[in-house]
Amino acid sequence: MLLSLKWLREFVPFEGTAEELGARLTLLGLEMEDLLHPYDGIKDIVIGKVLTCEPHPQSDHLHVCTVDAGTGEVLPIVCGAPNVAAGQTVPVALVGTTMPDGMKIKAAKLRGEASHGMICSERELGLSEEHSGILVLPDTLRAGEKFVDALDLDRDILEIGITPNRADCLSMLGFARETALAFNLPLTLPQVQIEESGADWTHDFAVEIPDPELCQAYRLRLLEGVRIAPSPASIRYRLHAVGVRAISNVVDVTNYILMELGQPLHAFDRDLIEGNKIIVSAAQEGERLVTLDGQERILRAGADLLIRDGVKPVALAGVMGGANTEINAESRNVLIECAIFRPGTIRRTARRLGLSSEASYRYERGVDQVGSVYALERAAALMASLSGGCVRTGVACCEPRPWQAPVINFRKPKAVSLLGIDLDDTFCRDTFTGMGCTVEGQGEQLTVTAPSWRQDLSREADLIEELARVYGMDAIPEKLPFVHRSLDDFGHPESHYDFLLRVKRWGSAAGLNEAENYSFLSHKDLDLLGLPKEDRISILNPLSEEQAVLRTELTPGLLGTVRHNIAHGNTSLRLFEVANAFTLDKTSETTAKESPKLAIALYGPLRAGNWPDAERDADYSDLRGLVEHFITYLDLPMPVCRRDDGSHPYLSPCVVIEVAGESVGVMGRVRPAQADAFHAHKPLWTAELDLTILRKLHDAARVQFKPLAVYPASTRDITVMAPAMLSVNAINDCLAGGDIRFLESFTLVDLFEPEGKDERNLTFRLVFRHPERTLKDAEIDKEREKACALLTSSLGVRI
Amino acid sequence: MDLVKELEGLIPELEEGLNQSSDLQGLEALRVDFLGRKGRLAKIMARLPELPAAERPQLGQLANTVKQRLTELFDARKNALDAAREAALVARFDAGMPGNMPWKGSLHVVTQVMEELCATFRTLGYDVVSGPEVETDFYNFEALNLPADHPARDMQDTLYIQDKIVLRTHTSPMQARTMLSRKPPLAVVAPGRVYRRDSDLTHTPMFHQVEGLMVDKHVSMADLRGTLTAFMRAVFGPQTRVRFRPSFFPFTEPSAEVDISCVMCGGKGHAHGETCRVCKGTGWVEILGCGMVDPNVFVHVGYDPEEVTGFAFGLGVERIAMLKYGIGDLRMFFENDVRFLAQFA
Repeated sequence: MLLSLKWLREFVPFEGTAEELGARLTLLGLEMEDLLHPYDGIKDIVIGKVLTCEPHPQSDHLHVCTVDAGTGEVLPIVCGAPNVAAGQTVPVALVGTTMPDGMKIKAAKLRGEASHGMICSERELGLSEEHSGILVLPDTLRAGEKFVDALDLDRDILEIGITPNRADCLSMLGFARETALAFNLPLTLPQVQIEESGADWTHDFAVEIPDPELCQAYRLRLLEGVRIAPSPASIRYRLHAVGVRAISNVVDVTNYILMELGQPLHAFDRDLIEGNKIIVSAAQEGERLVTLDGQERILRAGADLLIRDGVKPVALAGVMGGANTEINAESRNVLIECAIFRPGTIRRTARRLGLSSEASYRYERGVDQVGSVYALERAAALMASLSGGCVRTGVACCEPRPWQAPVINFRKPKAVSLLGIDLDDTFCRDTFTGMGCTVEGQGEQLTVTAPSWRQDLSREADLIEELARVYGMDAIPEKLPFVHRSLDDFGHPESHYDFLLRVKRWGSAAGLNEAENYSFLSHKDLDLLGLPKEDRISILNPLSEEQAVLRTELTPGLLGTVRHNIAHGNTSLRLFEVANAFTLDKTSETTAKESPKLAIALYGPLRAGNWPDAERDADYSDLRGLVEHFITYLDLPMPVCRRDDGSHPYLSPCVVIEVAGESVGVMGRVRPAQADAFHAHKPLWTAELDLTILRKLHDAARVQFKPLAVYPASTRDITVMAPAMLSVNAINDCLAGGDIRFLESFTLVDLFEPEGKDERNLTFRLVFRHPERTLKDAEIDKEREKACALLTSSLGVRI
Repeated sequence: MDLVKELEGLIPELEEGLNQSSDLQGLEALRVDFLGRKGRLAKIMARLPELPAAERPQLGQLANTVKQRLTELFDARKNALDAAREAALVARFDAGMPGNMPWKGSLHVVTQVMEELCATFRTLGYDVVSGPEVETDFYNFEALNLPADHPARDMQDTLYIQDKIVLRTHTSPMQARTMLSRKPPLAVVAPGRVYRRDSDLTHTPMFHQVEGLMVDKHVSMADLRGTLTAFMRAVFGPQTRVRFRPSFFPFTEPSAEVDISCVMCGGKGHAHGETCRVCKGTGWVEILGCGMVDPNVFVHVGYDPEEVTGFAFGLGVERIAMLKYGIGDLRMFFENDVRFLAQFA
């Protein structure tokens, strides 16, 4: 909302600066976002008097003028405007002036004639699009005076952010009320004197409102004999200063009152209204109306509200007028509409049609019903004076729901307790009356009636807020409260947040970089990885196709991180992300199943090849090691990792990770064809783990102390010569399930792949120990032999 | 008495040998040669039976003395060589050789700041709670005093999943969810991802918030001010000043925007003779919104607004991270360039 300081001063005698006003309003909850000086660009323009004006000897359209611009010398100025004439008072840009478009005025010769300055049109001054001729000003202005001073333009404009509750501040009057309250100044409304003429026109004109829910009040004034013309400069430039385009005297008045009093008005050409009535009623399905912007609007029953004459719809109530009754150059008789509509209806229509107007914006937020009577009178008087029309006697009016002022019981102790400050009885009373409330009662209990313009005041809480606002929220003391805890708050499992944080800390400590990706991406991204379509959750109104669907797994997003990094030259990647994946779940209250996951991606050399490590690209052992590290970090046993070929949409090889018989996730290498889309030309390894299951297993896991072994262990190595296709898993299973006595553990310690043979030599180290005595060599050798025999017999390997 | 001479002759011979050997290998060879099981000393001793029985004890004694002396000479030389070797090793040690650092990971700056905020509130006695990101219209709007067709809904452009299902536009639904599942008194913070239909230089369609809520008997705005001041000092340092400006949120009344003294210029509005670009010369930066829980919200969750009062606040994690670390571009948070990520380990 743009607030003109000068306009404000017509209501309240505020003498301070715009900065002071802005700072004070900000602390009252009306935040000054910017301070504008719309006429700074023409501050050097001066008033000039055209002394002489002769045709240019070398041109058929230029004029050679002499101008007194108060500089003490007569300036020769060549002017191309057709309307320039001797005796005019005009705006002049002197030599050295920079115009709003950046052009600098220089002394020049135009076809041989000297020109020391420029006589300006409105467009050259940035005041309007008018450029058919120079701007001719009233002769009362003095030569040499600054243009902005001579016309007394609105030079200080405060841009104020208005919160949705403060509809009353969507006008100069509203700010004037706040200013009067803040600085304890009197508020004065301009006196309105209407000279009505003729017989009462409302005797044979009806306003009908079939559904009072939709329209609380509707008033019409009739002006006759108007002459449509541009408004005087004072109106046009003022509207320009607050961001409104001037149109004509009649339309400008409706906008002027809208900005000044916050009451939206509409002007109909009376002679285009058919039948002597106006009906305010809901639209029928599919009804059509061409609005003032030339667009045909198709309306909906039960949603939109129409203004109709005896025959047809003439306006979309509260949003925009109809083209069929628009004020035009030939309009002579004008109906001024001043109404109160149901806010929700206006809002729905404006949003559905994408048609937010100054009027709809105010109607949505609530317009002062009592004040609307004054607004109509002021508009009619102003319009009559600007257009030469006469105001006919009578106001056509239908007000099925007169304003009911809310009566609020205020208890001071409640306010004192809620705000944490001592409040003086007088302060409370003065604040309420200062806001325009009527206050009854004495002492700590008051009965407060809110003014019609403050529709945000209907409850005690609203009054308490006003006290805090005026008292100054910054003056409220600061006190650190005691947080009351109950015994029931303790002994609960670790919170979801804390668990996820612990997972993230694991990732960071394990040497991975945490990424945060958007929860949404494109269907194409999911399709590329071959992910199922049926359990996806789409966004109805996405900002773009790139953000149209919630990710069903984290990996697609994390692969986006891989792509970004490779594209930016970061080719050594160790990434992880902890977030929710989203899938459709009809049984959920929100239709979504949100599954917390941990995703890991490894790509490229894990070390930069710094001495003493050789450069080596990430491989399965790196990823599996991380997964095992994580799972054992959760107090769970080492996972079982088994190939699951063919079924995974983007991992090949794909390995299913199982803990205690439950599948907790997958890992593997992204298929090269799919990895290529992410610029990954080396093996790209990813894992995705289900944190819901792991959390459940983790919560069930109990860490128990095991006594340390007392007797020494002995080791024996076995080298297995196995076919290349035989998985280490098979050997592990064989040894683990082989009932070999005293076998405490075993690990793969060496791998040799002889050239030219489809075979691997795998050396396992077996650790033997007896809890209560030292084993004899012969006992151990016997068990080793047993293991060898078992491996050869069940797996067909050689030892 | 050749044997005596031979025995005594071993000492100068070893001395000469030791002087000529300068490494441990040569030393070991000498040891084997003189003191080994088949060494020269042993060989002489093997000839002991050649002597008359009466001379044998004397010679035996001499042999022991010689052996002791040989061992001493040998040890002394070995120690000297060891010491020289160690000295050479230390002298050649290069402190400039690179370290073999384990992989260095990082927590995303959002995670770090969010946890810093949560940790501060944990120390004040708050619980950390979590809730769904896909949310019903009821929790996201209705229960928070934001009925349909209310202009306040314009404050948050919403991404819809279905007619009455949204991606939560704020973490405030956790106010309603918490109050419905617990009884007062309560004090919680709810961190998490939130979504808005908004994307430009200063907005991303997803960002992070931390919501706070305290409900008890007699909670006042003074309590809210104290809590947030404590919090801002914890995050931005003890010199931080906090300013409350009246504002509007549908679910709190009174509502306030909170500014802190500018982290860049210290609240002066200018730095190095120029207008501060962070606070644009005002000396203040907007940091969060807050207020006293609106009685309508209490009614929605079945609390009696005559019995309890409370305060709530919500803040943007990225905004705080940007101020705290001087990050200029919001989009960097979600591009996840590792050169960015690794800066906040």
